[in-house]
Amino acid sequence: MTNYILRRLAQAIPQLFIISVILFALMQAFGDPIAMLGGRIPPRPEDKERLRRQMGLDQPIYMQYVTWLVGNDWQKIDMDGDGVPETYGKRAGILRGDWGNSLVTRQPVLKMIGERLPNTLLLMLTAEIIIIILSLALGLYSALRPYSLFDNIATGLSFIGYSMPVFWLALSLMYIFAVNFRRWGLPYLPTVGMYDPAVGKTSFELFKHMILPVTTLSIISIAGYSRFVRSSVLEVLGQDYIRTARAKGLRSMIVVRRHALPNAALPFITVIGLDIPFLLAGAVVTERIFAWPGMGRLFIDHTERADFPVLMGILMLIALAVVIFQIITDVVYSFVDPRIRLE
Amino acid sequence: MKRNLYVLLSLLVLASMTLAACGTPATEAPQAPVVTEPPAPTEPPAPTFSGTVTITFTQEPDNLNPMYTDMWFSGILREFYLKPAWTFDEKANPIPMLTTEIPSTENGGLSADGKTITIKLRDDITWSDGEPLTADDFVFTYDMVMSEKNVPLSRYPYEDYITSVEAKDPTTVVVTMNEPYAAWLTRLFSYILPKHILQPVFDKDGTIDNAEWNRNPTVGVGPFVLSEWETGSHLAFKANPNWIQPPKVEQVFILIVPDDAAQEAAILAGDTDFGVFLSSDQIAKLEADGKVKVVSVASGYDEAWFLNVNPDTARPFMLDVNVRKAIALATDRFTIVKDLLVESVNPVNVTYWDNTPPYQTDTLTPYPYDPEQAKTLLDAAGWKDSDGDGMRDKVIDGKKVDLKVRYITTTRELRKSVQAVVEQQWKLVGIGAELINHSSDVFWNGYNDGGPQAQGLYDIAEYSSVQSAFPDPDASAGFLCEQICNAENPDGANTQGYCNPDLDVLLKKQAITLDPKLRKELYNQIQQIIYDDYIYVGIWLDPDLWSINSRVKNVKLSGVQPFWNAHEWEVAE
Amino acid sequence: MTDSTDLIPSTIPPLLSPTTLAIRRFRKHTMAMMGLGLLVLLFLYVSFSGLILNGYCPPLGQTLYGEAWANCNDTGARLQPPSSEHLFGTDVIGRDILARTVYGGQISMLIGVSAAIMEVFLGALIGSVAAYYGGWVDSLLMRFTEAMLTIPSLFLLIIGARFFGGSLPTINFFGRELTGSVIAIILIIGATAWMYIARIVRANILSLRELDFVSAARALGASDRRIIFIHLLPNTMAPLIVSATLGVASAIISEAYVSFLGLGVQGATATWGNMLDGAYRYLETAPWLWFFPGTLILLTVLGINFVGDGLRDALDPRSSRHM
Repeated sequence: MTNYILRRLAQAIPQLFIISVILFALMQAFGDPIAMLGGRIPPRPEDKERLRRQMGLDQPIYMQYVTWLVGNDWQKIDMDGDGVPETYGKRAGILRGDWGNSLVTRQPVLKMIGERLPNTLLLMLTAEIIIIILSLALGLYSALRPYSLFDNIATGLSFIGYSMPVFWLALSLMYIFAVNFRRWGLPYLPTVGMYDPAVGKTSFELFKHMILPVTTLSIISIAGYSRFVRSSVLEVLGQDYIRTARAKGLRSMIVVRRHALPNAALPFITVIGLDIPFLLAGAVVTERIFAWPGMGRLFIDHTERADFPVLMGILMLIALAVVIFQIITDVVYSFVDPRIRLE
Repeated sequence: MKRNLYVLLSLLVLASMTLAACGTPATEAPQAPVVTEPPAPTEPPAPTFSGTVTITFTQEPDNLNPMYTDMWFSGILREFYLKPAWTFDEKANPIPMLTTEIPSTENGGLSADGKTITIKLRDDITWSDGEPLTADDFVFTYDMVMSEKNVPLSRYPYEDYITSVEAKDPTTVVVTMNEPYAAWLTRLFSYILPKHILQPVFDKDGTIDNAEWNRNPTVGVGPFVLSEWETGSHLAFKANPNWIQPPKVEQVFILIVPDDAAQEAAILAGDTDFGVFLSSDQIAKLEADGKVKVVSVASGYDEAWFLNVNPDTARPFMLDVNVRKAIALATDRFTIVKDLLVESVNPVNVTYWDNTPPYQTDTLTPYPYDPEQAKTLLDAAGWKDSDGDGMRDKVIDGKKVDLKVRYITTTRELRKSVQAVVEQQWKLVGIGAELINHSSDVFWNGYNDGGPQAQGLYDIAEYSSVQSAFPDPDASAGFLCEQICNAENPDGANTQGYCNPDLDVLLKKQAITLDPKLRKELYNQIQQIIYDDYIYVGIWLDPDLWSINSRVKNVKLSGVQPFWNAHEWEVAE
Repeated sequence: MTDSTDLIPSTIPPLLSPTTLAIRRFRKHTMAMMGLGLLVLLFLYVSFSGLILNGYCPPLGQTLYGEAWANCNDTGARLQPPSSEHLFGTDVIGRDILARTVYGGQISMLIGVSAAIMEVFLGALIGSVAAYYGGWVDSLLMRFTEAMLTIPSLFLLIIGARFFGGSLPTINFFGRELTGSVIAIILIIGATAWMYIARIVRANILSLRELDFVSAARALGASDRRIIFIHLLPNTMAPLIVSATLGVASAIISEAYVSFLGLGVQGATATWGNMLDGAYRYLETAPWLWFFPGTLILLTVLGINFVGDGLRDALDPRSSRHM
């Protein structure tokens, strides 16, 4: 087991390296961050030159990648534009823990990510827990009573939920529960933001502001996952060994709990396990509409400004999480399914 | 196993909630030290503040040091925490802020040859920490912008026009320029940096590029001081009692809400007092229940067509002034404005300067909608539909060329609608259209990045723009011959490729004409030339539309600096 | 002498090919047949309504037919609720929504089917080659697949949109002019969804590869390509077909998401997805803008999923559902 984990981790390193190269190369399609800096006053050529030098954008692409990877404090670069390198660089490179500075805010990338990550985790983990619990419950109940009224209604609602575009759902919920409820004198929810700055970052404020975005995220996922669970459970229930257990006289609930559910849960675990690292990416559209200051917002806001260091930081963080969670999922899987042997 | 899972999951939720709640501590500003002078007998009572005002921004400022940012959203915050030497009221009149008066030739502030400006400062202004604001701060600002060790976004206009900035005495700043600079009022000293805070940083780090103050200016000069900035979420400003005009409101919150529809919901729900960048078709809905008023502010922007007349890149039909005229006459901008917007808010404009009082035209009227004349012009120019496909064509150099106009703009919904309507209007006259939408960053890309405008890959480009130094009218960069954008001059601002030597003379002259009356005369001539050449077709006047909740009183928004009278705002609780 | 046929009990059913078996099982699945019926109706709706559609277009002063009618905009009649003239109402610039759902449906369905075909093709190719050859080929291809999986699809969508951007030509497909952006969307959605299929195919082929019929084929001298395409892949058809069907549904939904981000089909070409995006700012004030395209998407997804369920049951030899 330990050998397996160590081997996977060792494989992960060149994997992450290749991913970083691919990402960096793809990022060049984003255009020039300097062009996006200007507002009304487009920087003049000499200003652009200076900015390019300061941001290290005057280097060829592979040099920019090398700097991102291992830094440039071990070499001299030309900071004053005379063609002669004279100052030592200030970057240490990601391998030494320096994730770089944003080209837009000039803040360290890690600091920016650190400010947003807890907000995203708060939203996504809460949503994920609700999704897991409700998907399992709904899917299981539907599978135990296939084609009953409950099942048909649940199936119908699932399809509606599944085909709803997330932006439509988000805005509709906002209008119903925040704008219209307030108009009609009912208890209402806030429209946007993570908390009301006038009141402060209290747990109650967070809770109030979380309800609508979490609901939006949950509805769509539960719609999809509950059907997945339902078909998994139905497939397991049709197996011979279940029939045997029932024939032996075991009560239905016990059959379900001890035999059907764990086996049906396996594919569900895989799917959830592979989704978890993407929780870090946040939910771009939901965060944008509800003005939730999370990773998804960070990503989309900085994509428009072609802010490479931040984008690389976020994507590498996600890649790292994916690799780690794939290993974790495989290990958990091997514990739960005794038929699987990891070598 | 399942039960353990449940316990684990609940713990996770609790953990993340507490994590987020204690996560990033709000940046607290140190308490402003109380000025320890003995109170004069007629000292007014200490000002009291009450109420909060909430404003939504659709983009988050990237930097609060104006040296390093040109974002509109960063700039307008300066009226709260970093007042400029002089500002502009809701009628775009200059008002002295840090100075006793606006320098002019009458009061001796402006020398006769226009090359020396003497600025007299007030002697009662202090930074929010009590330190007096003096001429040294002005000199320091100039030094920081010009220092080789700093990399500001732009050194313009200090590098181009100023030869020196000196502090003659603590309340007098003397600026000498190498030639008269007409836009000095809007461009010079639109921000002052605190020397006592940033000089030590400069001495220690060798640069102020990464100063803490840039993102956290807890010392400023203005009615408010930054008290908190939770990135992605909001900024908070607290009332500053040390300002000469203390505000009435206690706190101002800036909420970052990127989505337009969400902002609309927030306005309707009352979660925000001010809404920004609205469009006129939202007015009816927002004002429906009487709690919100939408205000239109002249901001210099006009939505217009810029036609490609670059002999190297433009297609043959664009180089013919009669075809351009026909295109303008074949477009019913009046119906578009009437149906898609609110005509009183966004009337069809004529010149580039119609939203820049007092330089709007007094004599010219918008090109009329006259499809019959358009057809006549096109027939006379030799464009006829020879193959029955509904589009006119002509044989040029042996090849049949279709009159298919490449009409590009951004991806904004309203612009796509305009494109579709225009395409249909042109069908009546036999003009074809190729409609293209680019995302904003691609649309504005430079020549070396394949930008469609820069490279002339268009016939008509539609967008909304303003002069860079609004309310100064100078927009010559877009029209000068020497600014034509091509391979040799990839940073040229004249992406239309327009070159008219007579216009060049006038443009160069207006840049050094300081007398407003003479300047307006020049602009009348400039506008006539552009009008007659049909290279600019005004679509609509594009003022900024703000929504104001009726609970905030005394709001007068300026098109230049919207929050200039923030100290007068009052909240009716 | 009794006829030899008398000795064969008449209760033994005749031997049927697997395809016929599958079709029979499918036909017995009520929901699947209903789904199929729904899809057929939708297909007829989008394909042939255009022949009947027509209306008077005031700004052009003439009656228009088919696609020209769908593009007729009349700003004076904008945002009108459903009426006798415009059964589904009009949109922000006065175009008839019914007509736009017809022509938009053509594009949406085209995108859905093409993207699904593309992702199945790519996924099957990569998965089968990786599984068959094993060794470093497998490692390389699988690492590549995993790399693509770690990159968030949003990022890939944005990159794809930038990359394919304005450089694809307009093509003429069954009489409709499709701008390059339609092809771009198909490529983008297809390029971000093939990974799951590759994994499934690889897993299946890994287990099939060891079976006797493969060694037999190899012994008979069959080439690798023949073995992969003629022997192995057909045996993994079941999950492929199901993935393809569901892929159509998710491609149609992705199209709406992509349109919201501004990366969707450009120009005046309607699709159900960009009609929903256009309805975003009028959610409360003009619900007919989103109701009709939204319902059509829902019905299509419903139909596809029922058919997919039926196919899964019909093609799965282990399925024990009662007939």
